Formats: sequence, C-alpha cells, structure tokens
Amino acid sequence: MTVLAGGTDLMVELNFGRRRPEHIVAIDRVGELAGIERNGHVRMGAGVTYTRMLADAGSQALAEAARTIGSPQIRNAGTIGGNLGTASPAGDTLPVLAALEATVVLRSKAGERRVPFADYMTGPKKSVRRADELIVAAEWDEAGPAQTYMFVSTRNAMAISIAGLAMVVDRARKRVGIGLGSCGPTIIRPADAEGFARGLFDEAGWERPHRPSESAAKELGRLVAAAARPIDDVRGTAAYRRHALAVMGARALSRVAQIA
Amino acid sequence: MTRILKSIEEFEGEVSESLVIVDGHDLPPARHDGGSPEIGRSRRRIDATQRVTGRARYTQDLYLAGMLHARILRSPHARARVRRIDTKRAEALPGVRGVLHRFNTPKTPFRGDDVIFREEVRFVGEEVCAVAADDEDTAREALALIEVDYERLPHVVDLEEALGDVAPQLESDGNVSESGSHKRGDTKRALKEADVAVDVTYRTSTQLHNALETHGAVALYDGEMLTVWESTQHVFGVRTGLKNALKLPYSRIRVICDYMGGGFGAKNGVGKYTIVASLFAMRFGKAVRCVLTRDEENLAAGNRSATLQQLRLGAKGGRITAIEHTSWSNSGQGKWIANPTGPTNTLYEVANVNTRSYKVVTNAGSLSAFRAPGYVEGAFALESAIDELAEAAGVDPLTLRRRHAGAGKDPITGNRYSDKHLLECYRIGAKEIGWDRRRAGGTRGSAPHRRRGIGMASQIWGGGGGPPAYATVHVDPDGSVVLTAGTQDIGTGTRTVLAQICADELGVELDDVRVQIGDSAGPFGPMSAGSMTLASVGPAVRLAAHDAREQLLGAAAGVLETPKAELRLEAGAIVSKGARTPLGEVLGKVDNNTVIGKGIRFPNADDLAQKTFSAQFAEVEVDVRTGEIFVERIVAALDVGRIVNPLTAASQVEGGVIQGIGFALSEERIVDRALGRVMSGNLEGYKVPTVKDVPTIVVKFVDRPDRRANNLGAKGLGEPPIIPTAAAIANAVANATGARVRHSPLTRARVLEALALAGIRD
Ligand SMILES: Cc1cc2nc3c(=O)[nH]c(=O)nc-3n(C[C@H](O)[C@H](O)[C@H](O)COP(=O)(O)OP(=O)(O)OC[C@H]3O[C@@H](n4cnc5c(N)ncnc54)[C@H](O)[C@@H]3O)c2cc1C
Repeated sequence: MTVLAGGTDLMVELNFGRRRPEHIVAIDRVGELAGIERNGHVRMGAGVTYTRMLADAGSQALAEAARTIGSPQIRNAGTIGGNLGTASPAGDTLPVLAALEATVVLRSKAGERRVPFADYMTGPKKSVRRADELIVAAEWDEAGPAQTYMFVSTRNAMAISIAGLAMVVDRARKRVGIGLGSCGPTIIRPADAEGFARGLFDEAGWERPHRPSESAAKELGRLVAAAARPIDDVRGTAAYRRHALAVMGARALSRVAQIA
Repeated sequence: MTRILKSIEEFEGEVSESLVIVDGHDLPPARHDGGSPEIGRSRRRIDATQRVTGRARYTQDLYLAGMLHARILRSPHARARVRRIDTKRAEALPGVRGVLHRFNTPKTPFRGDDVIFREEVRFVGEEVCAVAADDEDTAREALALIEVDYERLPHVVDLEEALGDVAPQLESDGNVSESGSHKRGDTKRALKEADVAVDVTYRTSTQLHNALETHGAVALYDGEMLTVWESTQHVFGVRTGLKNALKLPYSRIRVICDYMGGGFGAKNGVGKYTIVASLFAMRFGKAVRCVLTRDEENLAAGNRSATLQQLRLGAKGGRITAIEHTSWSNSGQGKWIANPTGPTNTLYEVANVNTRSYKVVTNAGSLSAFRAPGYVEGAFALESAIDELAEAAGVDPLTLRRRHAGAGKDPITGNRYSDKHLLECYRIGAKEIGWDRRRAGGTRGSAPHRRRGIGMASQIWGGGGGPPAYATVHVDPDGSVVLTAGTQDIGTGTRTVLAQICADELGVELDDVRVQIGDSAGPFGPMSAGSMTLASVGPAVRLAAHDAREQLLGAAAGVLETPKAELRLEAGAIVSKGARTPLGEVLGKVDNNTVIGKGIRFPNADDLAQKTFSAQFAEVEVDVRTGEIFVERIVAALDVGRIVNPLTAASQVEGGVIQGIGFALSEERIVDRALGRVMSGNLEGYKVPTVKDVPTIVVKFVDRPDRRANNLGAKGLGEPPIIPTAAAIANAVANATGARVRHSPLTRARVLEALALAGIRD
C-alpha cells in the first residue's frame, strides 16, 4: 500500500514513471496525523505541513528548515511525514531530526514501533520502515532556542540543497547534536565535531552564551567536513560540499553559542 | 505607383540587402510632443483579461474532436546508426493508429537534411520514430514497445573535447569550421606597442530556453487545406517549412498562432513535431496533436551554445588600442553558429581589431537562436575583459568605455548610425546606481564575510527591423476597427502596442481596436525575433491607419456635406468646428461599406545603421566563504528610440534582466560526457531564476525617437536587455572581491575557485 500525504514527492515519482503503485491511499485529511503536542516534549504528527511549522515547529532549527523548503505551494502541501517517507539525504527536515535525536513513530496492524532517528535511515531513500507501516509522528525533547539550520543551494528558492547542516545545543541537558544533509548516503552525525563542541561548552559554561574564538569555530568546521562522505553530482562537487560544510559548521557554532 | 526599392536590414548581427515592392509614400516621422493620445502611454495589455482568466487559447489548449495524439521516440544514444526498427508490438496495441520512421516516411526536407528521421542519429534526444494514437497515454505506451536496433558509434559532446585530436571527427572536414572573421588595423603591432595588455580565456555554459510553453503543433487536414496551430514566432516561417517538407502550395497551408507562451528564438520556424503532426493528419484525415514534454524541451528544442573565448586586449595612454578575440561555439548538430565576436567587432571605436569565430559540431542537442544569440556570450567575455584591462591600466572601467563609445559610425560598414545615445545611457545609469560610491577593491558588505561591489557593462544590437511587413485596418459601419497585421504576439505585448499605434493614428479609442494577428491567412510579416517586430510592423500599422483615416474623412465629408479639410477624427468621432459626430453614426449612413486602409513597411535607408544601445549597472554582495552571490540591484538604461508603451517596454527589460541573471548565476545544461545524456533535463535540474533570485530592477529609457530609422521612431527591445547583464554582474563580483570569475554561470564553486586563485579565500 502506498500512501499519499502532500504528494509533492509521490506525484513526481508517478509523473516520471518511476513508480506505478496499484493502490494509493490519501491520508492528507486524517486529523489524527495533523496535530502538534508540546509539553517539554514535542510530538509532531506526520501530516503536519511546512506552512504549519513556520508558526509552530517545537524547534527553532525545524522552523528554519521549513522556511527554506520549496515554494509556498510546496510548503502548503508537503509534510514532515512525507520527508521521512521519502528519506532522501537531501530532505531538509532530516538533519534537524538527527540533531534533535528525534524518534520516528511507526504503526502497523502489528502494533507501534519507536525508532531513534539514528537508526531510521539506512541509505539514500531507504529506511527501516516496512511497507505495511505508517509514519504517525516524530517526537523529541524540546531543546531550547540555541539551534539553527543552514544550507547552500544553487539558487535562492525551489532548489534542493547542495549541503545542509543543523546544530542543536541543549543547554539544560548539556547535549550537542549536529546533523548533515546532502553529503552522504544518509544523514550524518559528525561525532568528533559534536564532542569538540561539547568540550567548548564545558569550558565556557553551558548556561551562558559565549562568543567562540575564530580558531574554535574553524576547527569545528574542519571536523564537520571531515565526517562528510559527499559525492559529485549535478548540483555540486564533493569538494564544494565539504568546503560548504566547513563554512556552515563554523558559522553555526558562532551563531548558536551566542544564543542563551 | 508600384516600384522596387533596395533595403538594408540587420538580423541578429548579420546585415543583408533585400528588394521590396512598394506603393505610394511613407509617412513623415510621428510627432513626439507629448500630445499623442496613445503612443507613449502606459497601457495594460489589451488581452490581459483573456490571459489571466484562462480564456486565452494556446496551442497546447487545443483539443479538436476526434484528435489523435503523436509522440516521438528519441535516441537514447549520443551517436548511433539505426539499423532496424520493429514496430509490430507497438502497432498491435489497441488505439495505435500508425508509426513513422526512417524506413516508411517519405522524403521531407528539413533544415538542410532531406529527411526528418536520419539513419545516423547524432545526439541523445534525436527523433527516431513517431507514433499516433487515440490518446496520449497509448501513444506513450506504444513508444516503449518499439524495438530499435542501434549500432553505437563513438561520440563527443563536450566543446573542448571536440576540439582535441583524439575526439571522433563527426564531419568529413573535422569538427571545427570557421564561420566568421573581422579584421581592421594591425593588432599585432598595437599589442606590442601597448602599455598594458591582458590575455584571458572565458567560458560560457549551454543555456536552455525553457519557455513556459513547450514546442508543439496541432495539424488538421480536410483534403484541401492543411491548417496548423503552432506555438511559433513566425507563422509564415512554419508555412514555408511545411511547403518545403510536404510540397503543398502556400495557398493550401494555413498556420495559426493565437496566444503563445514564449519562444526566445527557439520557435523561429517549422519543427519536426510540426511535420510529424502534419504527415499523420494528412494520412488519417484527422486532427493530430504533437506537443513536446518538458524533458523533450530540454533535449531537442535548441539551446544557447557553450563557448570558449580567448581575448587579448591592449591599452596605451589610457585608451584601448587593440582587441583580438577568438571564439569556439558548441553548435551540437546545428548548421550555423551565432557569432560571439559581434559585440567586439562593433561596440567600441577601437582602431585595431582581429576576430575569428569557429563552429564546433558535437553529439549534443543543436543550438537555436536564443535571445541575442552570440551577443550574450560574447558580451560576457568582452565586457569582462574590458574591466580587466581597465584594472590593469588603472583606469575607471566606465571612463575607459566612455572614451570609445561615442563613435557615430558603424566601424565595419562605415555607415552612420541613424541615432545613438550610448553615452547618455552611461550618464543615466551611473547616476542611478551611484557609480561614485564604487571603490576599487569593493567595500564591506552587510556581514564580516560579505563583500560588496558595483559593476557595469554595455551593449550594442540591431533592432531596426525592416520590410516586408503589411497591415490592414478595416473600419466597419458601426465604427469598430479590426487591425490585421503580419505578426504574432509571442508574449511581448505586440497586440497591445500595435493597437495603440492604430488607435493613435486613426483617432479612435484603444478599446475600439481589435487586433487580428498570428494567422498566415493574413498579410505577410517578419518573424518575431531579432528585436524587429515593433520596428518592422509598427510603421506599416501606422500607415494603414493613416490610409483608413484619410478614407474615413473623405466619406465623412460627403455624408456631412462639409469640406474634408475642416474635419478631424478624434477619439472615435468626426469633429467639425466643435461638433462631434460618432464615427458609427457617419458610417451608418452608407450601409455596409467597409473602409480598408493598407500599410506597408518602407525600406530602411541604405546608408545608415539602425542600432540599439544600452548599459546595465549591477550592485552585488558576495559571501567570500561560500561563494554565494547576492544581486541586489540592476539598473538598465536603454536607448531604443521612442517608447510606445512604457509599461510593456519595462516588462521586456525586466524579463531580459532576469533571464540574464539566470545565465549569469544558475542556468547551465549539464551533460554526462560518457553517455551524452542531459543530466539537467527538467526544471528541477535546470535552474531558472525564481522570484527570490530577482533583485530590484530599475529601468530607464532615453526615449528619443530615432527619426531616421522609420516613421514611428521606435526600435526593438526584446534582446538588448539580456546582453549586458551577466558581464555587469561578473564585473561587480570582481569589484567586490578582487577575484575574476571567467566562466558563466558564476556558480558557488567557480566563485570559490576564483577567490582561491586570487589568494583571497581564508
Ligand atoms: C518543487 C518542489 C520543491 C521541493 N523542495 C524541497 C526542499 O526544498 N526541501 C525538501 O526537503 N524537500 C523538497 N521537496 C520534496 C518534498 O516536498 C518533501 O520531501 C515533502 O516533505 C514531501 O512530503 P509530502 O507530504 O508531499 O509527501 P508525499 O509525496 O505525499 O509522500 C512522499 C513519500 O512518503 C510516503 N509517505 C508520506 N506520508 C507517509 C506516512 N505518514 N507514512 C508512511 N509513508 C508516508 C509516501 O508514500 C511517499 O513514498 C520539494 C518537492 C517539490 C516538488
């Protein structure tokens, strides 16, 4: 069974003849999938659209990611469930979900499964979701305002990112999460970079904003780029992706560290 | 008295002579005192309501009863011999009516070949078969059932690879052929004697037209007439193409293009899809629709050639003394190239010039004319190089250009320009952008990693138009007016400005004029290309309206029993000593008489050069770490003669600038060298600018009639605004960062590479 939410990925596949499903079930009007619950913990229904996230995303980085996606038409139709369903390394919400250490909630007749995002994607457009499972929600702990999403692309709108980076600094839990998009077969968590950043916050104090030194920012960028496994494609070269990640890593740290 | 006159016309950089049949006399230049009721007024498009309510009918919207649908099977190989085609399974599919291919299609001459399905297919996307079926899905399904036996042959798709020795040679005389040259003075000596010189290589990538409406035609044959609706820039050109391919007389072919979603030069004549639709229509006696998909549009509907250009410039005493320019263009399977050295040959008064351009054939989709073909590519290189020379010579780049832009004569023919205000464009543009804020080395941007800069570039182009072009003005007994003209509105607003010219000269309200164009059943007119529509057709319309008005005044004199000299026609009424009688009332007295005014386009003066000039100024910010370019403002100052409608004219400029921004920053066809496949074959992969990529665009017109050009004083405007944009942006980027990007589009990676070369990247 194939489900259709906003159809902004599925219809492309159908129109290009890449898929010919026997049956399609439209789930865009299922109210149970369209809710956002917040109480220190966020549960975002799979049917929540990007336009909705602009107003209420339960995460600053997710709101920033939603703003970069497509055009108003695409943002009105496209959903987070669809982004997860497609599981493209270029999906703009996915680095954020990785950095938030979100959980993907899957449900089938056999019951519910909760999959940490780190285990969800297995390759480009591949995930552990079984064909009979519906994505019902994504969940994460609210992480505070020190977070951001950045990307570079080939033009200013309606363009798949060449590289994307989400950084979340949860000051209360003393946690740093970084997610990299479009630079490997899945979303990448650069462990060394995260560790290095944690060290910086340990030193500067988690509770206060601080201005990281230029050399620290640069080092973070270097570690981010080192973790990437980019390829050359129509949108950009591997070398440019690595470079862009280094720049974004440094900038993200400088920005986020200064947010209380 | 009917007689033959000689005329000199320029079309896309090529000057030619023609003979014209004329009768009567041309009108003196139109008045330009602000008193015209219509000319010079901003009017929204007369067909705006039709367009925005979806009532306007485009070729793609046409669904005729019992219509068949044709689809084309295209080569998956860059070069192959078609050995055998098995259509049994396709023809067995219910709903399939027929298949055309090289083994069963009659000779149909098409652009220099004598068939439309070639034995050797030479690019991915070349036509191999066509299927007609009852519906589109069946036709598409049938394509997948056709079995073609291809013998693959070695191919080359890349320009620079095709220039090399190891590449397969596609023509008997090799891949490279000279297609034009110009020489004046002695560049060798001038370069040797120069104080400073630059020697630089530029590249431009292949740009695809991607007009909103794809190419396509609907053909209908009733045993007597072949009627073809086509999205085209020239209904008469399609008619000629069909006449040659199908051996029908002109009188039995009618081509119609009512509304159209753009062409940009790629729809100047008949297409293989037209011939396919017509062959099927004639075979089955039914209407047949053949409309390309977006993917096909990106493979086989033409492009702006990629170029490699080498320039050597010398300066002495703060003046340019020499320019050498050699250019190679990837023409794909095209039979010609647009000339990138055109601007070098004519834009500036420089004593020593030596240029040469070469056509390079490859196994890629063919070029076709693309909004100022050659000049966009050439201006990018030339105008970048002028800035590099100015920098080397320590002269302000605008000052350097000023020293060479004042000439009153075309440097090749020696003919005087009919009019020229390029220096005025510089003055207007420099003031508007604030050129005095420009600092060598740029200024700080809005963030520490951002630099800010200003750049400019200028342009020369034809746009004088010429004969033949015809118009008639019918005035019916109720006073309503039908203007029929040999032209088509490809989206530029032609309908509207012709109605304005007609209403103005005739003395009726704009709303009273209905415009009938885009139909080869009417009088002949030129292709809507080369920025020549207004300057060709407008004067004929004015003459036709004048002729009709003279007849109307004569008729009114009889009806009102007043001397003709005492009568005027104003706002749809005959005015005599203050008394106003509506035209319909006067004509109502003479039953069903129709007044028919006729107008033609008189020849251009054979000792003048009609040119358009402009300059663009760009202000940008550059992120020196990511290589992103943010264009903040473009100022365009243009000298294109008189402006008939400031609103539609400004739209043309904005559209040109936006397309120029695409060429400068993001538009690039990407082809896989090993397979010859286009990797950017749709609007997801091929990046035209979005609304978020569009900066503030300020449009300024010199707006002085060119009285020696034609009776309207107006020249063309379709192409001038796309020519200087990319160079102005590249020059602004160089000013901002100190790094010169010599390859358009200026992608992030190319900007970073240039910054690294200049030692600027940290
Ligand atoms: C013009 C354009 C621009 C775009 N720009 C961007 C961009 O900038 N960034 C970006 O990330 N993406 C972009 N996209 C891709 C797309 O919009 C997003 O991936 C979007 O999130 C898909 O959501 P949807 O609701 O439309 O999914 P659909 O197309 O409805 O579904 C996508 C896939 O997920 C499956 N699916 C959907 N919902 C569920 C569910 N609840 N449970 C199980 N499976 C499900 C479907 O079966 C399908 O396989 C763009 C697409 C277009 C056409």
